[in-house]
Amino acid sequence: MNRTTGNRTKGEHELERYAALWEEARAIRGTSLGRDAWRRLRRQRAAMASLVALCVVTVLALITPLLPLQPPRRVDSDRIFMPPTFSRPAALDLDKLDADFGRKDLDLVSRALLDARLALFGGWSLPSICGTDELGRDLFSRLFWGARVSLAVGVVATLVSLVIGVSYGATAGYLGGRIDNFMMRLVDILYSVPFICVVILLVSILSEDSIRTWLESWHIDRITIFYLVVGAIYWLTMSRVVRGQIISLKNEQFVEAARTIGASQRRIIFFHLVPNVLSVVIVYLTLTIPSVMLFEAFLSFLGLGVQAPDVSWGLLVNQGFNVITPIKIYWWLVVFPGLALALTLYALNFLGDGLRDALDPRLKNR
Amino acid sequence: MQAIGRKLFPYLAAILLLLAAYFAVAGERRAPADFTFVNGTEIKSIDPAISTGQPEGRIIRALFEGLVNWDPRDLSSTPGVAARWEMSEDSRRITFHLRDDALWSDGTPVTADDFVYSYRRLLDPLTAAQYAYQLYYVVGAEKYNRGQVAVGDRVEIERFDPPSGAPPHARGELLRGTLLEYAEAFVDDPAAGKTELSDDEQRERLRRRVRMYTIEIDGEARRFKTGVAAFRDEPEFDAYEPVKQVLVDFDTVGIRAPDDRTLIFELNNPAPYFVSLTGFYPLYPVHRETVERFGSPDWMRPENLVGNGPYRLEERAFRDYIRLAKSETYWNAENVKLDVIDALAVESNVTALNMYENRQVDWTPVVPTVILPELKKQDRDDLRVAPYLTITYFRFNVTRSPLTDARVRRALSLAIDRPEIVDKIMRGGRTAATSFVPIGIEGYESPDCCQHDPEEARRLLAKAGFPGGKGMRKLTLLHNASEDAEKLCQAVQFQWHDTLGVEVELVRQEWGTYQEKVRNLEYDVAIAGWIGDYVDPNTFLDMFVTGGGNNNTGWSHAEFDAIIKERAPRERDPEKRLALMRQAEEILLAEMPVVPLYFPERNYLVRTYVKGLHNNILDVHPLHDLWIDEAERERQTAPRRKR
Amino acid sequence: MIAFLLRRFMWFVITVWAVQSLSFFLVRLAPGGPFTQERNVPLHVELAQRAKLNLDVPLYEQYFGYFGKLFRFDLGISDRQPDFTVNEIIAAGFPVSASLGVLALLFAVALGLAAGIVSAVFRGRGWDVSIMAAATLGIAVPSFVVASVVIILFVFVWPLFPAAGWGEPANLVLPAFCLGAPYAAYIARLSRTGMLEVLSQDYIRTAYAKGLSTRAVVLRHALRGALLPVFSFLGPAVAGILTGSLVIEKIFAIPGLGVHLLNAALQRDFTLMLGMVLVYTTVLYSMNTLVDLSYRILDPRVELT
Repeated sequence: MNRTTGNRTKGEHELERYAALWEEARAIRGTSLGRDAWRRLRRQRAAMASLVALCVVTVLALITPLLPLQPPRRVDSDRIFMPPTFSRPAALDLDKLDADFGRKDLDLVSRALLDARLALFGGWSLPSICGTDELGRDLFSRLFWGARVSLAVGVVATLVSLVIGVSYGATAGYLGGRIDNFMMRLVDILYSVPFICVVILLVSILSEDSIRTWLESWHIDRITIFYLVVGAIYWLTMSRVVRGQIISLKNEQFVEAARTIGASQRRIIFFHLVPNVLSVVIVYLTLTIPSVMLFEAFLSFLGLGVQAPDVSWGLLVNQGFNVITPIKIYWWLVVFPGLALALTLYALNFLGDGLRDALDPRLKNR
Repeated sequence: MQAIGRKLFPYLAAILLLLAAYFAVAGERRAPADFTFVNGTEIKSIDPAISTGQPEGRIIRALFEGLVNWDPRDLSSTPGVAARWEMSEDSRRITFHLRDDALWSDGTPVTADDFVYSYRRLLDPLTAAQYAYQLYYVVGAEKYNRGQVAVGDRVEIERFDPPSGAPPHARGELLRGTLLEYAEAFVDDPAAGKTELSDDEQRERLRRRVRMYTIEIDGEARRFKTGVAAFRDEPEFDAYEPVKQVLVDFDTVGIRAPDDRTLIFELNNPAPYFVSLTGFYPLYPVHRETVERFGSPDWMRPENLVGNGPYRLEERAFRDYIRLAKSETYWNAENVKLDVIDALAVESNVTALNMYENRQVDWTPVVPTVILPELKKQDRDDLRVAPYLTITYFRFNVTRSPLTDARVRRALSLAIDRPEIVDKIMRGGRTAATSFVPIGIEGYESPDCCQHDPEEARRLLAKAGFPGGKGMRKLTLLHNASEDAEKLCQAVQFQWHDTLGVEVELVRQEWGTYQEKVRNLEYDVAIAGWIGDYVDPNTFLDMFVTGGGNNNTGWSHAEFDAIIKERAPRERDPEKRLALMRQAEEILLAEMPVVPLYFPERNYLVRTYVKGLHNNILDVHPLHDLWIDEAERERQTAPRRKR
Repeated sequence: MIAFLLRRFMWFVITVWAVQSLSFFLVRLAPGGPFTQERNVPLHVELAQRAKLNLDVPLYEQYFGYFGKLFRFDLGISDRQPDFTVNEIIAAGFPVSASLGVLALLFAVALGLAAGIVSAVFRGRGWDVSIMAAATLGIAVPSFVVASVVIILFVFVWPLFPAAGWGEPANLVLPAFCLGAPYAAYIARLSRTGMLEVLSQDYIRTAYAKGLSTRAVVLRHALRGALLPVFSFLGPAVAGILTGSLVIEKIFAIPGLGVHLLNAALQRDFTLMLGMVLVYTTVLYSMNTLVDLSYRILDPRVELT
């Protein structure tokens, strides 16, 4: 080709232009709401940092048995109320794994992790960098084991409320009319019940021997009852939120289209409508989990929450409350669990805010 | 209209809120009392007959006075309403002589009849007094309280309405006669055909009971029936007149008032400590006219209440405070030093401590145990440590295997390292138990038990068929929702697993459920506590007779029963009697339906300028014995400006 | 308007009936009863106690008897505190809890609104970040932890307030703060969001274009938008304050009603628990109705249903 400028043939210009357009066209990707939202989310630094932090916490909680922590249940009367220290604790007693770790109650995966830990680290464990409590138990280790329970309570109870709330709200919203009216009135009435009384009574009724053995035959132990009871309290608001969304969506074209091709009501509700409210639900989820975790702390304060020898953040914070007195303050027993709880709730809130901003189409172009 | 509403609305709302805030802040301030203390949670009632707790006791002892008082130093009986008393030769009749100057707060004298009225009221089944059984030492009292009658007895029939002219809340009109016939019927008997009845079934059955009496009154045979409201109107019993209750005539109960100043008790068995018992507050008198005029609960209001104690009820704010003011009519008023006392109701131990440290109260009987070691370390002179007649222990459900085997029970007891728990886990505030009856009862020495012997424990367990804990099922350890209970149970759970290989599941229940489960024997091991009502080993041992209301272990031992129920009460020589008690305790400790753990002390904080507050093992601190050293108080509060 | 109020009242009656019935049966299902004591009583004494508490008649009789008395506003005598009727207990505790709650709410709304508005106006900048961080802290830390810290600081380190008790204005400050703090945080976030939405509207741009100062724009035009979400939160906020007060009242020894919500259920005090449920339902319902009413006044586009 001639390199003299201006002597390029018209065809070559066109070719270049088309080539450039072609490249551009190929670079364009179709995008879904999800990916769009993800892109928006990525731009929010606080939310991303929270997401990362939460993932880290979750992973740590899941692999807790693998970490070289002191046994969370070992009562050591020589190490009572020790402030944070780097002194080496006693080595693990390999014969006492059950009492010290509650090994028998762990699921298979955790048990495997625990065995792996022993193989890797032997009897060595980290010093009590968060101090010890009134029975000499290491706080750092209890924070991790408590995370498992607290996060589980938060997630499971929220999921329970999700399942109940979404089904109920979607059904009410879609069916509309009198049924909707009736269902929502029921929700209003349930709202008026002081849930503290109900929780106390429900838990004590379900602890009666005959009922308890029946439930245990279904592998529903005390902590599962706890999840269910807490979930049964939080579904009310969820159902209202979902119902509102469904009502605004049910007259959309895609619903009518689904109806014309003969989809049953159930299918329309659960396969078509519900996925569209998912964004709202997800946001609500991330904002309910903190409420549930705080509720668990509240119940621990009243003596109704998680029981020994299980440990949760709520229980730890509550034990911390008892040691803030004008005589002496065992500050580490409050500060560390409080920080753990606060930072997790922080992260969840930021993530929820970020998700809401990312998923809300009205906030486009912001 | 709406536009105006909209404009005004924010201002309206603001005004409303400010008004609410104003009302919140505008309250009446009351003058500070001479002495303020924390009295635990809100008391259940001021009525001596139905109260049972210590906070109630403190208030009742201020408002009323019994036949005797207890000297706060050694709990010996000192004259109260009774100036002096005598025992008969066989120690079965006690005569009290009341003083002349004992007055009710309305000025009328306290008479022996007041006591007869109050004791009848205590024993009246319809009062449902928990401590009625304290009077069972008196002839005929148990029969009266249980509503038992037998053919040939003299009976009293109480109708529903008071006689005309009587005060509105007086007792129903009384008829007296002799019982000719007695029958019971059960309407729709739920237990028909059954031999063994559960507690619930028994209750249901008794609910449906209609009792029919044929009584001869003035030569004529008349018919009466009693029973629960719903079943009284059954047509088959039409011929019987429905009445409130039929009891043996109260004249058959051994309490008599031959004149205004003399009160005589006839006892079933010699009971030398009966005199002391009359200082126990359920046995305090109440003012008949007031009770009958106003009825419950109105007679207990500050404006109505008439008492014979060193203080009168000035104000009562529910769950806030009770204000007591010195009574001018009290016979010993000149020795009552404090004029105004406030008793505060506080729910949380930590709050009580905060209030004490902040100088808002002068005495708090509750101290959070977590802080106790720190307080002791600080060597404070306002911290009192007092022995207390109380024990914390475990109950075993001996009807459930493997706890049916005494060797298993003994092994479990030997495996517990009590000193470690007391010193290291609970951090003091207790003494490791070496017996079931706590130390401190003069003249009584308990047999020894409860050493820590892991070897022997393992040996026993193996002999029982569970070497190393193998083959033994998981036991449940039931406890209520208190921090101390949790710490203790977690420590024991650990020790049992550690020493014996026995697995234990901790079950925490809130209080109501916990009580129910213990009563219904729905547990394996349960934590328990008991405080002595009076200074005698019997208050700890008589719990465990067969079928005793507070037994709740399923344990039954014929010889133990024989000693407690028959031989000991009949023994007149106090030393021999205590020796018999010791025998009974030996049986208890050999069989071990219960595992003694420790004897908690009483710890409380009281300012050093408060005098007259002595330690004693029943933790009774009559308010009228207290006084304040003003000079010392000045010295202590001056440097720190009061808020 | 009248129709609206009448309809609301009708639903109120239905709600009260439903909730009371549910509580009535639920509390009787739970193990134990009002006479469950530390020490067991002999059967005959227990029967007498049951008779005294009117628990020996058949269940349906108890049920109708209870509602009969309820109709006459007679809530009965407390089972566990026989010196007082339930009406008296509520009359004694309600003003206390109400004043505490009102103050807490006042504090929460005032602080929350102010923080939220400032945060929205200075969006993304220093103020916004720090206020939102503080708000999240307020939500994330349980109230009893806040209370204990606050007590140590303001009672012992700087002796400004009493540690506990009731009767003087000074007693109100710390409890109201602890009770209101989490709600201030929530309100800050809500008003911020509402404010942001309003601020992005066209008519706000118009106002700015007209030359109005930020302050005028915010206070005169945008405030309503920020208030609406706060108002709809007031319903759940009141419910939360009613329940949350039980922790605060316990810690500060305040003779309010909150504690009874818990204790009556724990001790199976049938009459008191039902009385408390009634109070809770009534307060919540009234609050929700008031909020709906004020919606209508604030935003004329809203229709009352």
